[in-house]
Amino acid sequence: MASTRVLARLAVRRTAVRPAGFTRGFASVTDTKAREPISKLGETINPSRPVVPESKTSTVKEPAPAQEAKTKTFHIYRWNPDEPTSKPRMQSYTLDLNKTGPMMLDALIRIKNETDPTLTFRRSCREGICGSCAMNIDGVNTLACLCRIPTDTTQESRIYPLPHMYVVKDLVPDMTLFYKQYRSVKPYLQRTTPAPDGREYRQSKEERKKLDGLYECILCACCSTSCPSYWWNQEEYLGPAVLLQSYRWLADSRDEKTAERQDGLNNSMSLYRCHTILNCSRTCPKGLNPALAIAEIKKSMAFT
Amino acid sequence: MASIVHPGLLRQSFASPAASKRVFSTFTHQSTPLAQQIRPAFARSTIPKSTRIASFHATQRQQILPPLPQKIQGTANDPVEVPTSSPAHGSYHWSFERVVSAGLVPLTIAPFAAGSLNPVTDSILCALLVIHSHMGFDACIVDYFPKQRVPKTRLAADWALRIGTVALGIGLYSFETNDVGITELIAKLWHA
Repeated sequence: MASTRVLARLAVRRTAVRPAGFTRGFASVTDTKAREPISKLGETINPSRPVVPESKTSTVKEPAPAQEAKTKTFHIYRWNPDEPTSKPRMQSYTLDLNKTGPMMLDALIRIKNETDPTLTFRRSCREGICGSCAMNIDGVNTLACLCRIPTDTTQESRIYPLPHMYVVKDLVPDMTLFYKQYRSVKPYLQRTTPAPDGREYRQSKEERKKLDGLYECILCACCSTSCPSYWWNQEEYLGPAVLLQSYRWLADSRDEKTAERQDGLNNSMSLYRCHTILNCSRTCPKGLNPALAIAEIKKSMAFT
Repeated sequence: MASIVHPGLLRQSFASPAASKRVFSTFTHQSTPLAQQIRPAFARSTIPKSTRIASFHATQRQQILPPLPQKIQGTANDPVEVPTSSPAHGSYHWSFERVVSAGLVPLTIAPFAAGSLNPVTDSILCALLVIHSHMGFDACIVDYFPKQRVPKTRLAADWALRIGTVALGIGLYSFETNDVGITELIAKLWHA
């Protein structure tokens, strides 16, 4: 037994003739040679290409500091649910625009990272496809990630959460009712008959074209919360965003529950609280036209 | 407005001699809150401006319909309740509204453009005006007096509108039958 152990140790032992590259590293603390970086190995293997020492290369310097800082003030709505008795307040932050990204979201992230980690807001994709960072910036509902910071430093920016929504914290609104309303329009394909060829539900190019300008909606709720009718009658009126989605399924040629969907809207509150104020189309950060979709629903239901 | 709500802040202005120069001098020495409320707005011009501004800013801001605490019906994953279909309040109502509005346009222009006055078109114009104004005010009431929130105010407003509409209808009817009619009235006013 003891002899086999000695033999094994002999077999493992590194010999001078063996190149270092073929040494098998065991997972052991004592075997330091096995965990040496491959670069070091390269040096030893190929001494004809030595590493240029730092004395012979140039130095990458830190970018020169800005001569004059472009300081801009941001007033941000703050409310902490942990102190429910304290009133909401406007907190001011100053940022050097030279060190900040171009968008409002960059400014918010920079404030959160560097100044005030308690600032709370939703953000995810930073490119206007998730709809998380919807907020009221300088009086307009928009996505912070699609809203450029006005470079005019004399003007101060004011950032509020979406108007007429219950605030969870700081810039985070409660979207529960909005999502519940979205759920009520059944935003999915409803169909009982199988496809004629048994494979796919096919559409013509014209039928598909009807969905352009509808399917791009990311449900950021900018339009709904800009609508005065939605402010007054949030509980009953569905709001532009949900109605746009409703029309997306009404206009879909593959959907077979068009009549049922229209019946769900055919009352005084759900659809007809829209008074063509057009705030929705004006504010949509994706450039869609919810008012047109609502008008199309009304038109399709007129005189029927 | 705020200074009316806050009568206590006005006392110093009442003591001042400037108060005697008030337009409605009979009202000046009545200090009951009701008298202050019925006081016309221009009578307040004798109150020093600083007092008025101070009283305005000292007044609590009155919200018209402050938001209630949030209440979620059912769980967060349930859809909101879909109301039962009632085209009479939905699509029919909307279509009718549009037809009436569109019909009013030629009816208001036609009598003047044609230069002739026809009692039939005049009566149609009156009827459509009554319907149009009723629907318009009804939309305002539905918008601004939510049924869940202010049920009594809503009911009162609804009945006030109904009474107003009936009164308007009777008034227009008597004006059309006993007097010259609205088209003729407008024509006369135009040339007056």
